Amino acid sequence: MNQILTYNAPTVFKRLNGIVKLLKPALKRVSHVKNAFLFNVCKDLNALNVRPPRQILLESGGAQNVVLRKVNDLSDHILAVGPRYQIKDIKCSVVNHLGEHTSGVLILGLNRCTKNANKLRKQRFIRTFHVKGLLGTSTENFFWDSRITCKSRFSHVTEDRFDSIVSSLQASHQRSMYDLCGVDIRSHAGYELASKGIIRPEINDQPLIYGIKIIEFKPPNFTLEIHVINENEEFLAMLVHDIAIELKSVAHCNGISCIRYGPFHIDNSLINRHWSLSGAVHSMNHCKNVLDINMNVND
Amino acid sequence: MLSRKVFCLIRNLHISSVKSLRGSLRPVSSPTESEDVQEKLPTKVENTLPSENPLKSYVPTFNLAAYVNKSECLQEFIKMGVNLHNIERRKGLGEFVLNLNFNDTVKPRLLFLADLGVSPELFGRFITKNPLIFKESIADLTIRVNYLESKKFTPQQIITIVERNPFWLMFSTKRIDNRLGFFQKNFELNGDDVRFLTTKQPNLITYKIEHVQKALFTVKEEMGFNVEEMKCLLLAKPKLFMMDHSLLVERFSYAHDEMKLSHEMILNFPHILTSRQFRVEQRHKFLKFLEKAQYDPKKDLYVSPKALVEGTDLDFVLNVAKSDLVTFDAFLRTL
Repeated sequence: MNQILTYNAPTVFKRLNGIVKLLKPALKRVSHVKNAFLFNVCKDLNALNVRPPRQILLESGGAQNVVLRKVNDLSDHILAVGPRYQIKDIKCSVVNHLGEHTSGVLILGLNRCTKNANKLRKQRFIRTFHVKGLLGTSTENFFWDSRITCKSRFSHVTEDRFDSIVSSLQASHQRSMYDLCGVDIRSHAGYELASKGIIRPEINDQPLIYGIKIIEFKPPNFTLEIHVINENEEFLAMLVHDIAIELKSVAHCNGISCIRYGPFHIDNSLINRHWSLSGAVHSMNHCKNVLDINMNVND
Repeated sequence: MLSRKVFCLIRNLHISSVKSLRGSLRPVSSPTESEDVQEKLPTKVENTLPSENPLKSYVPTFNLAAYVNKSECLQEFIKMGVNLHNIERRKGLGEFVLNLNFNDTVKPRLLFLADLGVSPELFGRFITKNPLIFKESIADLTIRVNYLESKKFTPQQIITIVERNPFWLMFSTKRIDNRLGFFQKNFELNGDDVRFLTTKQPNLITYKIEHVQKALFTVKEEMGFNVEEMKCLLLAKPKLFMMDHSLLVERFSYAHDEMKLSHEMILNFPHILTSRQFRVEQRHKFLKFLEKAQYDPKKDLYVSPKALVEGTDLDFVLNVAKSDLVTFDAFLRTL
């Protein structure tokens, strides 16, 4: 790979096409994260060697001996027209819209890669979430930041009970996938469908769980790992609530983290200290490598 | 709608010149040559022109940049470092700045400020923040400075006040007097305290008084500090009283309920209230994860709340948490 060291802002801006992977904190909206990131990128771009003001020809010396001088055009000065790079100059499209309570991988496409970002979105990758739950209390919107509506005991909840309910949930979702494809799971067509790999029905609105398991159980805290598509955070929180009801107790969601979006894992995502131009460039290179390696997996 | 369109035109012009980067000189074309624009706003254009200027070739525009080459005043402003781009975004100010006459209006007031002792390097920032200073008469400005002198502010303090808060001189002596009285009465300050507070954060004195009243209620009733403690907070971190109330309570409740800091500790280290919430939260959680979150000065392995919020992440991780940045980053990804 050719590497050039440059402090020329237009050169950098021209190269600023790619997919970046940010770490979205919980309780910050995607639009907020996007704006904060782009603001920092613009600030760094403006700190590089930006285009100097244009030059204009100025007449001086009277009518007899006209002297033409080149002077800086003040109307093109940064103070007059504003910074050379502003947030609206950078095109940016979000691949996965995480909810407000969710933290984790946020994929953005910048400038010429907004098209690629849209393609990635249409790929409908499987996302992996770590959903933390807290047994004993349920809340109004199933998340941790609203009023408590109900309390109950949870001493009777065991990991085995938890496992059995979670696996039956997974089985029912897998069955519904075949139903959505219009194929009987026991038929030859069903076998052929299954042998092609992961089934992804064309439906966009119904959440489908591919795998769900409990990875940590320390009452009252527990953590579920969920592989899912078409989800939203309310669905995941409701799932925690419903599972707890099945267990004859109540629970609410104590944190959702998207740890994987298709080929993009949470490792190497940019935490907010690294939301800058250099961070963006690093992340772009990283994401490009990830996509190169996983290209045939995606198709 | 129209304004957006024309404005975009101007911006695009600049962006396209950034993108092309040929090095060749592009002809300086006026961005607003479209005829329909001229037809729609002919009268408005003439109104906005400085009448003494003989040039009649003005065309409507929605940023000041288009007038810079024609207006001497704007050129002087740019040389001083005034951010015209910032000014024109605020309502009515663009037109006001355009109509200014440099020799008659601007110069006397700048000379006044220079005589006062304001550093000329700060004029750019000053005018960017408050171009309306050119509306005030010199007599008024003198009276306002005299008022400060009569209240025994030292010349150095007066300079600091005017430099830090460009809006100070806009307020009549009566209003300033009322406001200083408000702070003196509600926080039980003596004369020296008032002068100290005014010099430390002149913006607080000219801030919305209603907001300060609500903040006072928040600190007193919701957070439970008494007047004496409130005075300490005010003099240490005046900014707390300019902050959003809900944010202040949120930060306080995190420090008090989650980190178990007493009121006394928060008084000693008010930095924890001025630091951004996520910063405190991340660092506290990391210390808790390492089982080092111990904020009681009487016990071993004490971590000062000031050290918690100060410095970069690297400083914190190395000096306070005694860990490494990789671990910290990995921890942040699990939150």
